[in-house]
Amino acid sequence: MPDYKEIFVKTDICTGCNTCKLACAVEHSKTKNLFEAMFETPKPKSRLYVEWVPENTRIPVLCRHCEDAPCINACISGAITRSDQGTVVTDTDKCIGCWTCVMVCPYGVIGRDKALHKAYRCDRCPDLEVPACVASCPTKALVYESVDTFSADRRKAVSKELVTGKGV
Amino acid sequence: MGNHYVIVGGSAAGMAAAHTLRKKDKAGIITVLSDEKSPPYFRPMIPYIINGKKKASHITLSGNGMFTEQGIDVRTDTAVSALDTAPKTVTTKSGEAIPYDRLLFATGSRPYMPETIKGLDTKGVFSLKTLADAMAMARRLQDTNHVVMLGGGILNLKAAFAMLEKGIRVTLVVYSPEVLSQLMEPEDAFLIRKALDNAGLEIMTRCSATDVVTDAGGVCAVALSNGKELPCQMVCVGKGVIPNTDFIQKSNIKINKGILVDKHTACNVKDTFAAGDVAVTHDPVTGEKVTTALWTNAVEMGICAGLNMAGIKTRYTGTFGIMNATQVAAEPFVSMGVVHTRNKDVEVYIEKSGHTFRKIVFNKKGTRLIGAVFIGDITNAGMYRYVIREKKPIDRFKSHLISHTLHYGHFM
Repeated sequence: MPDYKEIFVKTDICTGCNTCKLACAVEHSKTKNLFEAMFETPKPKSRLYVEWVPENTRIPVLCRHCEDAPCINACISGAITRSDQGTVVTDTDKCIGCWTCVMVCPYGVIGRDKALHKAYRCDRCPDLEVPACVASCPTKALVYESVDTFSADRRKAVSKELVTGKGV
Repeated sequence: MGNHYVIVGGSAAGMAAAHTLRKKDKAGIITVLSDEKSPPYFRPMIPYIINGKKKASHITLSGNGMFTEQGIDVRTDTAVSALDTAPKTVTTKSGEAIPYDRLLFATGSRPYMPETIKGLDTKGVFSLKTLADAMAMARRLQDTNHVVMLGGGILNLKAAFAMLEKGIRVTLVVYSPEVLSQLMEPEDAFLIRKALDNAGLEIMTRCSATDVVTDAGGVCAVALSNGKELPCQMVCVGKGVIPNTDFIQKSNIKINKGILVDKHTACNVKDTFAAGDVAVTHDPVTGEKVTTALWTNAVEMGICAGLNMAGIKTRYTGTFGIMNATQVAAEPFVSMGVVHTRNKDVEVYIEKSGHTFRKIVFNKKGTRLIGAVFIGDITNAGMYRYVIREKKPIDRFKSHLISHTLHYGHFM
Protein backbone atom coordinates (compact mmCIF):
# COMPACT_ATOMS: atom_id res chain seq x y z
CA MET A 1 0.00 0.00 0.00
CA PRO A 2 1.27 3.51 -0.74
CA ASP A 3 2.47 5.57 2.19
CA TYR A 4 -0.70 7.48 3.13
CA LYS A 5 -0.87 9.76 6.10
CA GLU A 6 -3.23 8.62 8.83
CA ILE A 7 -4.66 10.11 11.99
CA PHE A 8 -3.02 8.71 15.12
CA VAL A 9 -4.03 9.27 18.72
CA LYS A 10 -1.54 9.62 21.57
CA THR A 11 -3.89 8.40 24.29
CA ASP A 12 -1.45 9.40 27.03
CA ILE A 13 -1.63 13.06 26.01
CA CYS A 14 -5.35 13.51 25.22
CA THR A 15 -7.13 15.45 27.94
CA GLY A 16 -10.61 14.93 26.55
CA CYS A 17 -11.21 18.61 25.86
CA ASN A 18 -13.41 17.89 22.80
CA THR A 19 -11.83 20.65 20.71
CA CYS A 20 -11.36 18.10 17.90
CA LYS A 21 -15.09 17.34 17.86
CA LEU A 22 -15.91 20.99 17.52
CA ALA A 23 -13.35 21.53 14.75
CA CYS A 24 -14.66 18.46 12.92
CA ALA A 25 -18.26 19.65 13.06
CA VAL A 26 -17.29 23.11 11.85
CA GLU A 27 -15.21 21.74 8.97
CA HIS A 28 -18.20 19.62 7.92
CA SER A 29 -20.69 22.49 8.19
CA LYS A 30 -22.00 24.56 5.31
CA THR A 31 -20.41 27.83 6.42
CA LYS A 32 -17.19 26.37 7.92
CA ASN A 33 -17.35 29.07 10.56
CA LEU A 34 -18.02 28.23 14.21
CA PHE A 35 -20.45 31.03 14.95
CA GLU A 36 -22.55 30.57 11.85
CA ALA A 37 -22.28 26.76 12.01
CA MET A 38 -23.97 26.77 15.42
CA PHE A 39 -27.15 28.10 13.85
CA GLU A 40 -27.26 25.81 10.83
CA THR A 41 -30.05 23.29 10.36
CA PRO A 42 -29.46 20.44 10.36
CA LYS A 43 -26.79 20.95 13.00
CA PRO A 44 -23.30 20.13 11.70
CA LYS A 45 -22.11 16.79 12.99
CA SER A 46 -18.75 15.75 14.31
CA ARG A 47 -17.39 12.62 12.71
CA LEU A 48 -15.18 11.70 15.59
CA TYR A 49 -16.13 10.80 19.12
CA VAL A 50 -14.26 11.38 22.36
CA GLU A 51 -14.94 8.50 24.72
CA TRP A 52 -14.16 8.15 28.38
CA VAL A 53 -12.49 5.04 29.73
CA PRO A 54 -12.42 4.71 33.51
CA GLU A 55 -10.50 5.76 35.54
CA ASN A 56 -9.34 8.85 33.71
CA THR A 57 -8.46 8.17 30.08
CA ARG A 58 -10.15 9.96 27.21
CA ILE A 59 -9.75 8.76 23.69
CA PRO A 60 -10.84 10.19 20.39
CA VAL A 61 -12.30 7.41 18.23
CA LEU A 62 -12.73 7.82 14.49
CA CYS A 63 -12.91 5.81 11.30
CA ARG A 64 -9.68 3.81 10.96
CA HIS A 65 -10.12 3.48 7.19
CA CYS A 66 -9.27 -0.20 7.76
CA GLU A 67 -7.07 -1.94 5.24
CA ASP A 68 -9.54 -4.82 5.22
CA ALA A 69 -12.66 -2.76 5.79
CA PRO A 70 -15.76 -4.76 6.75
CA CYS A 71 -18.03 -1.89 5.70
CA ILE A 72 -16.79 -1.97 2.08
CA ASN A 73 -17.57 -5.67 1.87
CA ALA A 74 -20.89 -5.36 3.66
CA CYS A 75 -22.43 -2.43 1.79
CA ILE A 76 -25.40 -3.67 -0.23
CA SER A 77 -25.52 -0.72 -2.61
CA GLY A 78 -21.85 -0.45 -3.58
CA ALA A 79 -21.71 3.00 -2.00
CA ILE A 80 -18.50 2.44 -0.03
CA THR A 81 -15.19 2.44 -1.88
CA ARG A 82 -11.50 3.03 -1.22
CA SER A 83 -10.31 6.40 -2.52
CA ASP A 84 -6.97 7.12 -4.18
CA GLN A 85 -5.92 8.74 -0.90
CA GLY A 86 -6.47 5.44 0.91
CA THR A 87 -9.60 6.56 2.73
CA VAL A 88 -12.84 4.62 2.89
CA VAL A 89 -15.54 6.81 1.40
CA THR A 90 -19.33 6.56 1.40
CA ASP A 91 -20.91 7.94 -1.77
CA THR A 92 -23.99 9.65 -0.36
CA ASP A 93 -25.80 9.48 -3.70
CA LYS A 94 -25.56 5.70 -3.63
CA CYS A 95 -26.13 5.22 0.11
CA ILE A 96 -29.68 4.04 0.77
CA GLY A 97 -29.51 4.20 4.56
CA CYS A 98 -29.84 0.48 5.22
CA TRP A 99 -27.25 0.72 8.03
CA THR A 100 -25.51 -2.54 7.18
CA CYS A 101 -22.21 -0.64 7.60
CA VAL A 102 -23.27 0.38 11.10
CA MET A 103 -24.03 -3.27 11.82
CA VAL A 104 -20.54 -4.45 10.85
CA CYS A 105 -18.22 -1.62 11.96
CA PRO A 106 -16.32 -2.93 15.00
CA TYR A 107 -15.26 0.60 16.01
CA GLY A 108 -18.75 2.09 16.07
CA VAL A 109 -17.61 5.13 14.10
CA ILE A 110 -20.16 5.24 11.31
CA GLY A 111 -22.83 7.81 12.07
CA ARG A 112 -26.42 7.86 10.94
CA ASP A 113 -27.67 11.15 9.54
CA LYS A 114 -31.36 10.90 10.32
CA ALA A 115 -32.34 13.98 8.34
CA LEU A 116 -30.59 12.92 5.15
CA HIS A 117 -31.06 9.19 5.77
CA LYS A 118 -27.39 8.59 4.92
CA ALA A 119 -24.40 7.14 6.70
CA TYR A 120 -21.45 9.43 7.45
CA ARG A 121 -17.92 9.04 8.79
CA CYS A 122 -14.47 10.65 8.99
CA ASP A 123 -13.24 11.68 5.55
CA ARG A 124 -9.83 12.91 6.77
CA CYS A 125 -10.78 16.37 5.44
CA PRO A 126 -9.73 15.84 1.80
CA ASP A 127 -9.70 19.61 1.11
CA LEU A 128 -7.29 20.41 3.92
CA GLU A 129 -3.54 19.88 4.23
CA VAL A 130 -4.03 18.62 7.78
CA PRO A 131 -7.41 17.30 9.01
CA ALA A 132 -9.35 19.82 11.12
CA CYS A 133 -9.28 17.68 14.26
CA VAL A 134 -5.50 17.30 14.15
CA ALA A 135 -4.92 20.97 13.44
CA SER A 136 -7.15 21.98 16.33
CA CYS A 137 -5.74 19.67 19.01
CA PRO A 138 -4.19 21.93 21.69
CA THR A 139 -2.08 19.15 23.25
CA LYS A 140 -0.95 17.57 19.97
CA ALA A 141 -2.53 14.27 21.00
CA LEU A 142 -3.80 13.87 17.45
CA VAL A 143 -1.11 13.32 14.85
CA TYR A 144 -1.37 13.22 11.07
CA GLU A 145 1.51 11.15 9.75
CA SER A 146 2.38 8.10 7.71
CA VAL A 147 2.71 4.87 9.68
CA ASP A 148 6.48 4.82 9.12
CA THR A 149 7.04 8.39 10.25
CA PHE A 150 4.76 8.00 13.26
CA SER A 151 6.49 4.84 14.46
CA ALA A 152 9.94 6.36 13.84
CA ASP A 153 8.94 9.37 15.96
CA ARG A 154 7.70 7.08 18.68
CA ARG A 155 10.97 5.12 18.60
CA LYS A 156 12.98 8.32 18.92
CA ALA A 157 10.85 9.50 21.82
CA VAL A 158 11.20 6.21 23.67
CA SER A 159 14.98 6.10 23.06
CA LYS A 160 15.33 9.60 24.45
CA GLU A 161 13.29 8.56 27.46
CA LEU A 162 15.57 5.56 28.06
CA VAL A 163 18.75 7.64 27.83
CA THR A 164 17.67 10.65 29.86
CA GLY A 165 15.44 8.80 32.27
CA LYS A 166 12.82 11.48 31.72
CA GLY A 167 9.38 11.11 30.25
CA VAL A 168 8.72 12.90 27.00
CA MET B 1 -0.11 -20.47 -17.93
CA GLY B 2 -1.73 -19.88 -14.56
CA ASN B 3 -4.55 -21.65 -12.84
CA HIS B 4 -8.01 -21.66 -14.37
CA TYR B 5 -10.51 -20.68 -11.71
CA VAL B 6 -14.10 -21.38 -12.62
CA ILE B 7 -16.85 -19.82 -10.55
CA VAL B 8 -20.44 -20.92 -10.99
CA GLY B 9 -22.69 -18.02 -10.03
CA GLY B 10 -22.20 -14.30 -10.66
CA SER B 11 -23.64 -12.68 -7.57
CA ALA B 12 -22.25 -11.70 -4.16
CA ALA B 13 -20.22 -14.79 -3.26
CA GLY B 14 -19.04 -15.59 -6.78
CA MET B 15 -17.99 -12.07 -7.68
CA ALA B 16 -16.39 -11.43 -4.27
CA ALA B 17 -14.32 -14.58 -4.81
CA ALA B 18 -13.46 -13.53 -8.37
CA HIS B 19 -12.24 -10.08 -7.35
CA THR B 20 -10.29 -11.53 -4.42
CA LEU B 21 -8.66 -14.07 -6.72
CA ARG B 22 -7.71 -11.33 -9.16
CA LYS B 23 -6.10 -9.33 -6.33
CA LYS B 24 -4.05 -12.31 -5.18
CA ASP B 25 -3.30 -14.09 -8.44
CA LYS B 26 -2.54 -11.81 -11.35
CA ALA B 27 -1.73 -14.66 -13.74
CA GLY B 28 -4.67 -17.00 -13.28
CA ILE B 29 -7.66 -17.09 -15.59
CA ILE B 30 -10.93 -16.35 -13.85
CA THR B 31 -14.16 -17.40 -15.51
CA VAL B 32 -17.51 -16.64 -13.91
CA LEU B 33 -20.53 -18.49 -15.29
CA SER B 34 -23.81 -16.74 -14.53
CA ASP B 35 -27.22 -18.02 -15.55
CA GLU B 36 -28.62 -14.50 -15.44
CA LYS B 37 -28.87 -12.37 -18.57
CA SER B 38 -27.74 -9.16 -16.90
CA PRO B 39 -24.16 -8.51 -15.82
CA PRO B 40 -23.61 -8.83 -12.03
CA TYR B 41 -25.49 -6.28 -9.92
CA PHE B 42 -26.16 -5.46 -6.28
CA ARG B 43 -29.04 -7.84 -5.69
CA PRO B 44 -30.39 -6.21 -2.50
CA MET B 45 -31.07 -3.10 -4.57
CA ILE B 46 -33.69 -4.67 -6.81
CA PRO B 47 -36.67 -3.41 -4.77
CA TYR B 48 -35.70 0.06 -6.07
CA ILE B 49 -36.04 -1.22 -9.62
CA ILE B 50 -39.68 -2.08 -8.98
CA ASN B 51 -40.63 1.48 -8.15
CA GLY B 52 -38.27 3.06 -10.67
CA LYS B 53 -36.10 4.83 -8.07
CA LYS B 54 -33.04 3.13 -9.58
CA LYS B 55 -32.25 1.93 -13.06
CA ALA B 56 -30.36 -1.25 -13.78
CA SER B 57 -27.32 0.84 -14.69
CA HIS B 58 -27.30 2.35 -11.17
CA ILE B 59 -26.83 -0.96 -9.44
CA THR B 60 -24.11 -2.67 -11.48
CA LEU B 61 -21.44 -4.40 -9.45
CA SER B 62 -18.39 -3.71 -11.56
CA GLY B 63 -16.26 -0.82 -10.34
CA ASN B 64 -18.11 -0.34 -7.05
CA GLY B 65 -17.36 -1.33 -3.47
CA MET B 66 -14.84 -4.17 -3.37
CA PHE B 67 -15.60 -5.14 -6.96
CA THR B 68 -12.92 -2.99 -8.58
CA GLU B 69 -10.59 -5.51 -10.22
CA GLN B 70 -10.21 -5.99 -13.96
CA GLY B 71 -9.64 -9.05 -16.05
CA ILE B 72 -12.48 -11.25 -14.91
CA ASP B 73 -14.33 -13.08 -17.64
CA VAL B 74 -18.00 -12.98 -16.70
CA ARG B 75 -20.15 -15.06 -19.03
CA THR B 76 -23.80 -14.16 -18.58
CA ASP B 77 -26.73 -16.31 -19.69
CA THR B 78 -24.52 -19.36 -19.20
CA ALA B 79 -26.24 -21.90 -17.01
CA VAL B 80 -24.29 -24.96 -15.90
CA SER B 81 -26.01 -28.30 -16.23
CA ALA B 82 -23.38 -30.89 -15.30
CA LEU B 83 -20.29 -31.37 -13.21
CA ASP B 84 -17.53 -33.95 -13.43
CA THR B 85 -14.87 -33.85 -10.74
CA ALA B 86 -12.65 -36.34 -12.65
CA PRO B 87 -11.65 -35.06 -15.16
CA LYS B 88 -12.34 -31.66 -13.72
CA THR B 89 -14.98 -30.05 -15.95
CA VAL B 90 -18.30 -28.29 -15.78
CA THR B 91 -20.67 -28.48 -18.73
CA THR B 92 -22.93 -25.63 -19.71
CA LYS B 93 -26.52 -26.04 -20.78
CA SER B 94 -25.47 -25.43 -24.38
CA GLY B 95 -23.09 -28.40 -24.11
CA GLU B 96 -19.74 -26.68 -23.76
CA ALA B 97 -17.34 -28.49 -21.44
CA ILE B 98 -15.19 -26.08 -19.43
CA PRO B 99 -12.16 -27.52 -17.63
CA TYR B 100 -11.16 -26.06 -14.27
CA ASP B 101 -8.21 -26.21 -11.91
CA ARG B 102 -10.22 -24.89 -8.99
CA LEU B 103 -13.97 -24.58 -8.88
CA LEU B 104 -16.29 -22.49 -6.73
CA PHE B 105 -19.97 -23.20 -6.28
CA ALA B 106 -21.61 -19.82 -5.71
CA THR B 107 -24.93 -20.88 -7.18
CA GLY B 108 -26.98 -19.02 -4.59
CA SER B 109 -30.56 -19.83 -3.78
CA ARG B 110 -33.98 -19.58 -5.32
CA PRO B 111 -37.34 -18.62 -3.82
CA TYR B 112 -39.24 -21.35 -2.08
CA MET B 113 -42.64 -21.73 -3.71
CA PRO B 114 -44.95 -23.61 -1.31
CA GLU B 115 -46.86 -26.47 -2.92
CA THR B 116 -49.75 -25.79 -0.55
CA ILE B 117 -50.64 -22.71 -2.57
CA LYS B 118 -52.30 -23.60 -5.85
CA GLY B 119 -51.82 -21.57 -8.99
CA LEU B 120 -48.42 -20.00 -8.30
CA ASP B 121 -47.46 -20.46 -11.95
CA THR B 122 -50.06 -17.89 -12.97
CA LYS B 123 -49.15 -14.70 -14.81
CA GLY B 124 -48.81 -11.89 -12.29
CA VAL B 125 -47.37 -14.10 -9.56
CA PHE B 126 -43.76 -13.18 -8.73
CA SER B 127 -41.04 -13.84 -6.28
CA LEU B 128 -38.42 -11.17 -6.07
CA LYS B 129 -35.01 -12.71 -6.62
CA THR B 130 -33.42 -11.39 -9.78
CA LEU B 131 -33.18 -8.13 -11.65
CA ALA B 132 -35.35 -9.72 -14.32
CA ASP B 133 -38.02 -10.44 -11.68
CA ALA B 134 -37.95 -6.82 -10.54
CA MET B 135 -38.24 -5.52 -14.09
CA ALA B 136 -41.15 -7.85 -14.81
CA MET B 137 -42.84 -6.68 -11.61
CA ALA B 138 -42.33 -3.05 -12.62
CA ARG B 139 -44.08 -3.77 -15.94
CA ARG B 140 -47.00 -5.59 -14.30
CA LEU B 141 -47.32 -2.79 -11.77
CA GLN B 142 -48.54 -0.44 -14.50
CA ASP B 143 -51.87 -2.31 -14.54
CA THR B 144 -52.00 -3.03 -10.83
CA ASN B 145 -53.73 -1.22 -8.01
CA HIS B 146 -53.53 -3.90 -5.33
CA VAL B 147 -50.65 -6.27 -4.57
CA VAL B 148 -50.87 -9.20 -2.17
CA MET B 149 -47.55 -10.23 -0.68
CA LEU B 150 -47.19 -13.65 0.88
CA GLY B 151 -44.62 -13.79 3.69
CA GLY B 152 -43.49 -11.18 6.21
CA GLY B 153 -39.73 -11.32 5.77
CA ILE B 154 -37.36 -8.47 5.17
CA LEU B 155 -37.28 -8.83 1.38
CA ASN B 156 -41.07 -8.72 1.11
CA LEU B 157 -41.18 -5.70 3.40
CA LYS B 158 -38.66 -3.86 1.25
CA ALA B 159 -40.59 -4.72 -1.89
CA ALA B 160 -43.86 -3.73 -0.19
CA PHE B 161 -42.46 -0.29 0.59
CA ALA B 162 -41.17 0.15 -2.92
CA MET B 163 -44.72 -0.35 -4.16
CA LEU B 164 -46.41 1.68 -1.40
CA GLU B 165 -44.21 4.59 -2.45
CA LYS B 166 -45.77 4.38 -5.89
CA GLY B 167 -49.18 4.76 -4.31
CA ILE B 168 -50.18 1.16 -4.82
CA ARG B 169 -52.24 -0.65 -2.20
CA VAL B 170 -50.28 -3.49 -0.62
CA THR B 171 -51.53 -6.25 1.65
CA LEU B 172 -49.03 -8.46 3.46
CA VAL B 173 -50.28 -11.94 4.35
CA VAL B 174 -48.19 -13.50 7.10
CA TYR B 175 -48.55 -17.01 8.49
CA SER B 176 -46.64 -16.10 11.68
CA PRO B 177 -48.19 -14.06 14.49
CA GLU B 178 -46.10 -11.04 13.43
CA VAL B 179 -43.87 -9.72 10.63
CA LEU B 180 -40.12 -10.42 10.63
CA SER B 181 -40.61 -13.53 12.76
CA GLN B 182 -37.22 -14.88 11.64
CA LEU B 183 -35.47 -11.83 13.03
CA MET B 184 -37.34 -11.19 16.27
CA GLU B 185 -40.04 -12.38 18.63
CA PRO B 186 -43.55 -11.15 17.78
CA GLU B 187 -43.79 -8.93 20.86
CA ASP B 188 -40.38 -7.38 20.09
CA ALA B 189 -41.55 -6.19 16.68
CA PHE B 190 -44.18 -3.77 18.00
CA LEU B 191 -42.34 -0.60 16.93
CA ILE B 192 -41.81 -1.94 13.45
CA ARG B 193 -45.41 -3.04 13.24
CA LYS B 194 -46.53 0.42 14.30
CA ALA B 195 -44.32 2.01 11.63
CA LEU B 196 -45.67 -0.36 8.98
CA ASP B 197 -49.25 0.34 9.98
CA ASN B 198 -48.61 4.08 9.91
CA ALA B 199 -47.04 3.80 6.48
CA GLY B 200 -50.28 2.34 5.18
CA LEU B 201 -49.26 -1.28 4.72
CA GLU B 202 -52.17 -3.62 5.35
CA ILE B 203 -51.08 -6.68 7.30
CA MET B 204 -52.96 -9.92 7.93
CA THR B 205 -51.21 -12.25 10.37
CA ARG B 206 -51.83 -15.92 11.28
CA CYS B 207 -53.18 -16.43 7.83
CA SER B 208 -51.97 -18.08 4.63
CA ALA B 209 -52.93 -18.26 0.99
CA THR B 210 -54.51 -21.39 -0.43
CA ASP B 211 -55.27 -20.52 -4.04
CA VAL B 212 -54.37 -17.98 -6.65
CA VAL B 213 -57.57 -17.08 -8.52
CA THR B 214 -57.12 -16.26 -12.19
CA ASP B 215 -58.88 -14.68 -15.12
CA ALA B 216 -57.79 -13.88 -18.67
CA GLY B 217 -55.28 -11.28 -17.45
CA GLY B 218 -53.61 -13.63 -14.99
CA VAL B 219 -54.03 -13.37 -11.25
CA CYS B 220 -57.23 -11.61 -10.12
CA ALA B 221 -57.46 -12.62 -6.47
CA VAL B 222 -55.91 -14.67 -3.68
CA ALA B 223 -57.98 -17.07 -1.59
CA LEU B 224 -56.93 -17.25 2.05
CA SER B 225 -57.08 -19.91 4.74
CA ASN B 226 -59.57 -17.79 6.70
CA GLY B 227 -62.08 -18.04 3.87
CA LYS B 228 -61.54 -14.50 2.61
CA GLU B 229 -60.66 -13.64 -0.94
CA LEU B 230 -58.49 -10.63 -1.72
CA PRO B 231 -58.98 -9.16 -5.21
CA CYS B 232 -55.58 -8.15 -6.60
CA GLN B 233 -53.62 -7.94 -9.83
CA MET B 234 -50.25 -9.03 -8.50
CA VAL B 235 -48.92 -11.56 -5.99
CA CYS B 236 -45.39 -11.65 -4.59
CA VAL B 237 -44.17 -14.77 -2.79
CA GLY B 238 -41.49 -14.25 -0.14
CA LYS B 239 -41.42 -17.48 1.81
CA GLY B 240 -37.69 -17.96 2.14
CA VAL B 241 -35.17 -19.53 -0.21
CA ILE B 242 -33.66 -22.91 -1.00
CA PRO B 243 -30.04 -23.50 -2.07
CA ASN B 244 -29.44 -24.13 -5.78
CA THR B 245 -27.78 -27.54 -5.94
CA ASP B 246 -29.48 -29.07 -8.99
CA PHE B 247 -26.51 -29.92 -11.20
CA ILE B 248 -24.34 -30.75 -8.20
CA GLN B 249 -26.66 -33.41 -6.81
CA LYS B 250 -25.58 -36.00 -9.37
CA SER B 251 -21.90 -35.49 -8.50
CA ASN B 252 -19.81 -36.73 -5.59
CA ILE B 253 -19.99 -33.34 -3.80
CA LYS B 254 -21.51 -33.77 -0.36
CA ILE B 255 -24.84 -32.03 0.08
CA ASN B 256 -27.17 -31.72 3.01
CA LYS B 257 -29.72 -29.11 1.95
CA GLY B 258 -26.78 -26.92 0.92
CA ILE B 259 -23.20 -27.81 0.02
CA LEU B 260 -21.12 -28.91 3.00
CA VAL B 261 -17.79 -27.16 3.43
CA ASP B 262 -14.94 -27.36 5.91
CA LYS B 263 -13.61 -24.41 7.87
CA HIS B 264 -11.65 -23.30 4.82
CA THR B 265 -14.73 -23.20 2.58
CA ALA B 266 -13.57 -26.36 0.76
CA CYS B 267 -15.95 -29.14 -0.31
CA ASN B 268 -15.25 -32.83 0.22
CA VAL B 269 -13.70 -33.19 -3.26
CA LYS B 270 -10.25 -31.69 -3.92
CA ASP B 271 -10.13 -28.28 -5.63
CA THR B 272 -13.82 -27.54 -5.13
CA PHE B 273 -15.16 -24.82 -2.86
CA ALA B 274 -18.54 -23.32 -1.99
CA ALA B 275 -19.66 -19.93 -0.67
CA GLY B 276 -22.78 -17.85 -0.22
CA ASP B 277 -26.40 -18.93 0.06
CA VAL B 278 -25.64 -22.41 -1.28
CA ALA B 279 -22.99 -23.23 1.33
CA VAL B 280 -23.72 -24.76 4.71
CA THR B 281 -21.66 -22.88 7.26
CA HIS B 282 -21.60 -22.70 11.04
CA ASP B 283 -22.95 -20.21 13.54
CA PRO B 284 -20.14 -19.19 15.91
CA VAL B 285 -22.68 -18.47 18.66
CA THR B 286 -24.80 -21.60 18.63
CA GLY B 287 -22.33 -23.92 16.87
CA GLU B 288 -25.20 -25.02 14.63
CA LYS B 289 -24.93 -25.62 10.90
CA VAL B 290 -26.66 -22.82 9.05
CA THR B 291 -27.38 -21.54 5.59
CA THR B 292 -28.08 -17.85 5.29
CA ALA B 293 -29.30 -15.67 2.47
CA LEU B 294 -27.64 -12.37 3.24
CA TRP B 295 -25.58 -10.33 0.79
CA THR B 296 -23.08 -9.31 3.45
CA ASN B 297 -22.46 -12.89 4.53
CA ALA B 298 -22.11 -14.04 0.94
CA VAL B 299 -19.47 -11.39 0.18
CA GLU B 300 -17.49 -12.27 3.32
CA MET B 301 -17.58 -15.96 2.56
CA GLY B 302 -16.80 -15.35 -1.12
CA ILE B 303 -13.70 -13.39 -0.16
CA CYS B 304 -12.63 -16.21 2.14
CA ALA B 305 -13.20 -18.80 -0.60
CA GLY B 306 -11.25 -16.64 -3.06
CA LEU B 307 -8.27 -16.54 -0.71
CA ASN B 308 -8.36 -20.29 -0.18
CA MET B 309 -8.65 -20.92 -3.91
CA ALA B 310 -5.60 -18.72 -4.44
CA GLY B 311 -3.75 -20.98 -2.03
CA ILE B 312 -3.85 -18.62 0.96
CA LYS B 313 -5.28 -20.79 3.73
CA THR B 314 -7.93 -18.71 5.42
CA ARG B 315 -10.38 -19.83 8.04
CA TYR B 316 -14.00 -18.75 7.63
CA THR B 317 -15.28 -17.37 10.90
CA GLY B 318 -18.83 -18.52 10.19
CA THR B 319 -21.86 -16.34 10.45
CA PHE B 320 -24.82 -15.78 12.68
CA GLY B 321 -27.86 -17.68 11.47
CA ILE B 322 -29.73 -14.51 12.27
CA MET B 323 -28.27 -11.20 11.22
CA ASN B 324 -29.76 -8.30 9.35
CA ALA B 325 -30.10 -4.57 9.41
CA THR B 326 -32.34 -2.23 7.53
CA GLN B 327 -34.80 0.55 7.89
CA VAL B 328 -38.50 -0.12 7.39
CA ALA B 329 -40.62 3.01 7.24
CA ALA B 330 -38.86 5.33 9.68
CA GLU B 331 -37.57 2.58 11.95
CA PRO B 332 -33.98 1.40 11.60
CA PHE B 333 -33.28 -1.96 13.17
CA VAL B 334 -30.54 -4.52 13.65
CA SER B 335 -31.04 -8.10 14.72
CA MET B 336 -28.22 -10.58 15.31
CA GLY B 337 -27.33 -13.78 17.08
CA VAL B 338 -29.72 -15.46 19.49
CA VAL B 339 -32.84 -13.28 19.54
CA HIS B 340 -35.66 -15.80 20.01
CA THR B 341 -35.53 -16.26 23.73
CA ARG B 342 -38.91 -17.67 24.66
CA ASN B 343 -38.51 -20.84 26.74
CA LYS B 344 -34.74 -20.54 26.45
CA ASP B 345 -32.46 -20.59 29.46
CA VAL B 346 -30.73 -17.30 28.78
CA GLU B 347 -30.28 -13.94 30.49
CA VAL B 348 -32.31 -11.22 28.76
CA TYR B 349 -32.45 -7.46 29.22
CA ILE B 350 -35.18 -5.50 27.48
CA GLU B 351 -35.57 -1.74 27.44
CA LYS B 352 -38.44 -0.17 25.54
CA SER B 353 -39.78 3.30 25.00
CA GLY B 354 -42.18 4.86 22.54
CA HIS B 355 -39.36 5.23 20.03
CA THR B 356 -36.76 2.61 20.79
CA PHE B 357 -36.54 -1.04 21.65
CA ARG B 358 -33.45 -2.84 22.81
CA LYS B 359 -32.97 -6.46 23.70
CA ILE B 360 -29.65 -7.79 24.90
CA VAL B 361 -29.22 -11.55 25.29
CA PHE B 362 -26.51 -13.23 27.37
CA ASN B 363 -25.83 -16.92 27.88
CA LYS B 364 -27.33 -18.73 30.86
CA LYS B 365 -24.46 -17.81 33.17
CA GLY B 366 -24.54 -14.22 31.98
CA THR B 367 -20.87 -14.37 31.01
CA ARG B 368 -21.12 -14.00 27.25
CA LEU B 369 -23.14 -11.82 24.87
CA ILE B 370 -25.01 -14.02 22.39
CA GLY B 371 -27.62 -11.81 20.75
CA ALA B 372 -29.01 -8.32 20.34
CA VAL B 373 -31.98 -6.54 18.80
CA PHE B 374 -32.01 -2.78 18.33
CA ILE B 375 -34.96 -0.87 16.94
CA GLY B 376 -34.97 2.91 16.59
CA ASP B 377 -31.47 3.49 17.93
CA ILE B 378 -28.87 1.22 16.29
CA THR B 379 -25.77 3.13 17.43
CA ASN B 380 -22.64 0.98 17.70
CA ALA B 381 -24.45 -2.20 16.64
CA GLY B 382 -21.23 -3.32 14.95
CA MET B 383 -19.43 -3.43 18.26
CA TYR B 384 -22.09 -5.75 19.65
CA ARG B 385 -21.62 -7.98 16.62
CA TYR B 386 -17.90 -7.99 17.29
CA VAL B 387 -18.38 -8.92 20.97
CA ILE B 388 -20.78 -11.74 20.04
CA ARG B 389 -18.69 -13.15 17.22
CA GLU B 390 -15.32 -12.96 18.96
CA LYS B 391 -16.85 -14.34 22.19
CA LYS B 392 -15.18 -11.53 24.07
CA PRO B 393 -15.02 -11.63 27.87
CA ILE B 394 -17.56 -9.05 28.98
CA ASP B 395 -16.98 -8.64 32.71
CA ARG B 396 -15.35 -5.22 32.20
CA PHE B 397 -18.22 -3.70 30.23
CA LYS B 398 -21.34 -5.79 30.75
CA SER B 399 -23.27 -2.90 32.27
CA HIS B 400 -22.41 -0.81 29.20
CA LEU B 401 -23.71 -3.54 26.93
CA ILE B 402 -27.00 -3.53 28.81
CA SER B 403 -27.34 0.24 29.00
CA HIS B 404 -26.25 0.70 25.36
CA THR B 405 -23.32 2.93 26.31
CA LEU B 406 -20.62 0.65 24.92
CA HIS B 407 -17.86 2.38 22.97
CA TYR B 408 -14.50 1.40 21.57
CA GLY B 409 -12.66 2.65 24.64
CA HIS B 410 -14.11 -0.27 26.61
CA PHE B 411 -12.08 -2.70 24.53
CA MET B 412 -8.79 -0.99 25.41
